[in-house]
Amino acid sequence: MKHEYIGLWSLLTVALAIFIGFSCLEPVTLAGVELKSSGIADRLTRPVSEQENSSDAPAAQPEVQKVATDTASKNILLIGDSMLEGINPRLAAYARENGHTLNSVIWYSSTTAYWGNCDTLRVFLRQFKPDYIFISLGANELFVKDIIEKREGCLKYFLEQIGDIPYLWIGPPNWKKDTGINEMIARNVKPGCYFKSDGMHFDRTKDGAHPTHASAAQWVDSIARWMPLHSSHPIKMNTPTMAKSRPASVTVLQPLKQPLPMRH
Amino acid sequence: MDFPTVFHNICSLLRYEASAPMLFSSGLFWALFLVFLPVYALLKKRLWQMLTFVVAFSLYFYYKSSGVFFILLICTSLLDWTLSRLLAVLTVKWQRKMCVWISVIASLGILGYFKYANFFLWNWNAMVEGNFQPLDIILPVGISFYTFQSISYIVDVYKGRVAPTETWLEYIFFLSFFPALVAGPIVRADYFIPQIRQNNRATRDEVYAGLWLVILGVVKKALIADYIAQYNDLIFMQPTGYSGFESLMGVIGYTMQIYCDFSGYSDMAIGIALIMGFKLSLNFDFPYKSQNLTEFWRRWHISLSSWLRDYVYIPLGGNRKGTFRTYLNNFLTMLVGGLWHGAAWKFVFWGAMHGAGLAVHKASKPLLSRLPDNRAIRAVSWTVTMIYVSLLWVFFRADSWTDSWLIIRNIFTNFSPAHIIPFVEVRYVWLIMMTVIIAAHCMPRRIYDRLAVWFVSTPWPVKLLVFIVAVQLVIQFMSEEVAPFIYFQF
Repeated sequence: MKHEYIGLWSLLTVALAIFIGFSCLEPVTLAGVELKSSGIADRLTRPVSEQENSSDAPAAQPEVQKVATDTASKNILLIGDSMLEGINPRLAAYARENGHTLNSVIWYSSTTAYWGNCDTLRVFLRQFKPDYIFISLGANELFVKDIIEKREGCLKYFLEQIGDIPYLWIGPPNWKKDTGINEMIARNVKPGCYFKSDGMHFDRTKDGAHPTHASAAQWVDSIARWMPLHSSHPIKMNTPTMAKSRPASVTVLQPLKQPLPMRH
Repeated sequence: MDFPTVFHNICSLLRYEASAPMLFSSGLFWALFLVFLPVYALLKKRLWQMLTFVVAFSLYFYYKSSGVFFILLICTSLLDWTLSRLLAVLTVKWQRKMCVWISVIASLGILGYFKYANFFLWNWNAMVEGNFQPLDIILPVGISFYTFQSISYIVDVYKGRVAPTETWLEYIFFLSFFPALVAGPIVRADYFIPQIRQNNRATRDEVYAGLWLVILGVVKKALIADYIAQYNDLIFMQPTGYSGFESLMGVIGYTMQIYCDFSGYSDMAIGIALIMGFKLSLNFDFPYKSQNLTEFWRRWHISLSSWLRDYVYIPLGGNRKGTFRTYLNNFLTMLVGGLWHGAAWKFVFWGAMHGAGLAVHKASKPLLSRLPDNRAIRAVSWTVTMIYVSLLWVFFRADSWTDSWLIIRNIFTNFSPAHIIPFVEVRYVWLIMMTVIIAAHCMPRRIYDRLAVWFVSTPWPVKLLVFIVAVQLVIQFMSEEVAPFIYFQF
């Protein structure tokens, strides 16, 4: 190699070696900031089985007997975390197509601890009087250690607030193996009320977590296909002619600056 | 370490995946570049071997981004080159014209099918109220860029501005040159093809100047643009969910995002080409310093605007056919420019409004020239230009007309200073990024030149440190979620 390229080549090689080496180490903190890893080592050594995801949802709960679809127009409330940004437009298109009304409440960065430690949900139940609820929650809790011990109380209280209103919990779209959030939701919700998204393939946005708009639309389509066969209370979800629409209202809540006192 | 797993994973990384095109800001590209560079350096002075190697790498690069469409690129190049060789021997005018038309129609036909077929079908359907089924068409990455290169080549050969390449290898090297293949700059044959035969070796200073441009590009594209995009996306996805102040920030944010994104990628392309010993022309020259639209289009996406000038505006008559035709030609040229950006009416509208703006600026030049050239006038000119450009970006970015108008209406009807403090509290990182890029954009060019000279002359360990810090910053912010706002409705 000619000398003008040797310096550049060795610079790039050393940099690559440093980033690969760093990605093999435990997270390093510098001046209070955790240095993120490039993930090269993980990407190269991840077992093949973990990468081969199916493109549709696997069954998560014991199968429920097929139930006749409730064809009445519904007043739907969609609540959850930032994943709603992707779900909202497509679900709104389904709502419009099928004569439902969709109101949406996005609580950014929210978790079961957020919703299960306050009465925010009751406020929205009073405000919108829904007769069907979609919940998309859990993506911010994929890596919580001892999650069942820490969060199951919150989850139970959250479900208690919903009471007898029919609902469907859309499980978080895992981008890595979780520490038990999916299992915790599955064992606490009623049969036929949980759509497990873990195991589906998603195209992600640049943050690596949120599905792209197109992928989120396919996600909602998968839910709509799943509902008549597996949901304990399927509602009318005929495929819409328009790709997306707008909910009747979108309420946006800020992330909490301080944690709420925990409910155990 | 499980070597079969690592081998399998490396193979899967190297395969085409539609959702993971190879970008200059990706780790995969730089890992491959590490392999590419020593081979390229060894072959540099053996012209034909070097050309073959770079073409093979470019075609692989294109395969990684567009799959089997690399075959289309090969076919286009074969047709163009054959016709250009015919042009060199033909003397009868109509036969020469025929060669040009065949090449242009083929290039535009392919582009039209892949990029605009569904758009035209959709519009036809709307007119006749038919039952429209969109065609299952995948748009090959970068087709708009290399189509324009191919047209300019054949037209330049016809006009005698450039001699046709003697071999197909040289031509496909020009057309598929990987630094400029998928996102420009649009390389012009008269500027680039002579460099192939000259085959100049990059000096040590040029190699590091190239690396400096790459670092600048990575910071602009992968750090700043990708980070600020997260907030801007929130605004454009839910136009009704945010206050006027937040919407305004989203619009300003998108104005900077599109600049950082595009000019950052151009910087990387120019930098990589420079490392290889090839010079590509400047594509962005501080466009947001412009004081009128004419100046803006001399500074923004220069390779496209000069292409449009030379191959659309001037053939339409330019300014040679009277005042009205000049304005009309300006307008039509920008209409083509708008449509080039994408197959949707919003791009046509965006182009038309820029065309109209250029015509208005030209028409008012006699009046404007009477104004004194002082700071106040310059400030007003800059403000008016920036407001116009930024508002048009809203139409360019938003998903629909309704969304565009909602955002603009929101800025004017739902603006409250009460939202400023909470915004600053929550989005301070976004604001810091915006401040940095705006300040960097305001700096004079000589500061950039000095920084480049400093980087080139600095010791090797410092260069390594700068490179590592830049890449780590990208990694650090890549998965950092922008704190979403904060809009109390109760």
